[in-house]
Amino acid sequence: MIYGAVISEHYRRPRNQGALESPDAVHEGFNPLCGDRLRMEVKIEGGRIAAARFRGDACMVAIAAASLLTDFVRGLSIAEAAAFPREQLLAALEAPLRPSRLGCATLPLEVLRAALRERL
Amino acid sequence: MEQVYSQLEALGKSERRVAMATLIGTRGATPKKEGAKMWVGADGQVRGSVTIGGCVDAKVIAEAETVLSAGAARRLSMALGDEDAWEIGLSCGGTVELLVEQLDLEGALVRMYRRIAGEIEQGRAACLVRSLRDPAQSLLLLQGGESEGTLGTPELDRAAREIAFARGASRSETIAGEEAFFELHTPRPHLVLVGAGHISMPLVPLARTLGFRTTVIDARPRFANRERFPEVDEIKVGIASEIIGQIRLVPSTAVVLTVHDYKVEVPVLKAALASSAGYVGMLGNKRRGKAVLEMLREQGLSEEQLARVHVPLGLDIGAQSAAEIALSALGQIIAERGRGRE
Repeated sequence: MIYGAVISEHYRRPRNQGALESPDAVHEGFNPLCGDRLRMEVKIEGGRIAAARFRGDACMVAIAAASLLTDFVRGLSIAEAAAFPREQLLAALEAPLRPSRLGCATLPLEVLRAALRERL
Repeated sequence: MEQVYSQLEALGKSERRVAMATLIGTRGATPKKEGAKMWVGADGQVRGSVTIGGCVDAKVIAEAETVLSAGAARRLSMALGDEDAWEIGLSCGGTVELLVEQLDLEGALVRMYRRIAGEIEQGRAACLVRSLRDPAQSLLLLQGGESEGTLGTPELDRAAREIAFARGASRSETIAGEEAFFELHTPRPHLVLVGAGHISMPLVPLARTLGFRTTVIDARPRFANRERFPEVDEIKVGIASEIIGQIRLVPSTAVVLTVHDYKVEVPVLKAALASSAGYVGMLGNKRRGKAVLEMLREQGLSEEQLARVHVPLGLDIGAQSAAEIALSALGQIIAERGRGRE
């Protein structure tokens, strides 16, 4: 196993994968070279993240990161979710990533931030 | 299936009366298959062919002229090749069965062909069912469920409806004790390329030459664009597995994955294998192919579904360059299509 149990588990059984009915914020982003592409949808209630879901074609690292991130931000305020620490997400993956794969791990966070930007 | 209505429209400009010969049955080796057509005008025009020319077409022209004089439709059975041809091995050796009939260019059958042309234009299939006991009785069945005409009884119409689109080719069948010819009209074959890399680039113009409509899908606009694919019919940039789910994948569709990346291959193959796409192929060697198929197996796909994936892709012609790989892939797609008609 190259990436460890957390990435493997979240890639095989991703949490929060799919679409939301009437999301309040949506953004789709991609890595222009490798082609990882994710769409993040967010439901906001009372200024907080009620639900976040994602879908896309992306590598194991990006899918696992999106799966973890959509769990982490539930219940956070919009500002807290937009400022979710990159290091916390990377640490949660519990695997050393080569520099070339860091962009895969942070793609979901960039997409989420872009989705929330106009709600701030 | 030739675009029948466009032929009739062209003939109608110069001919008053037209006979149409339809290949309704074949046995043994024959150059054309069921559904091939030939038209002979009373004023001399000949269009189409039920063989590849030669003596049988000449006999059909003579029969068509008889039908134009006498009026009644005729069913004919002809062996391909005469005794001399047999002797020196020049004959195809098969037998063809034909329906030769006079067409009323303002009549119901031609109106059905016009409607079929409209359906094809919209990317939908249609099946024209002809009674071989009484060719004046025809039932047009559209893929969307609509119908027009009748074979004579509700029982025959119901039996025809049940099997009309079951096989992806024209053929004669016995339904409710009567012979009928199922003339299947399908849209242009569609090549869906997942991946806008260098292998896909020569595939598009080659596929177009072979009559395919082409679609290129990729997540990366830098790759999927008109500069790289000037001849493609449509480019779709986005989440490939989502886009593939929005495209009608039917037996005339070939899905070819040149993307060479599991993150796209696995979800796209999952979608393609849930459809009735006529061909699914994936670029990659046996080892990669095995690994991707194993991931799909883990996701619950059956062995029957997995067996549909051609990996490595293409006929074994020793292809090295992108253009050669494109040729081998299209050769395999056409070979598979031919097998489906057998």
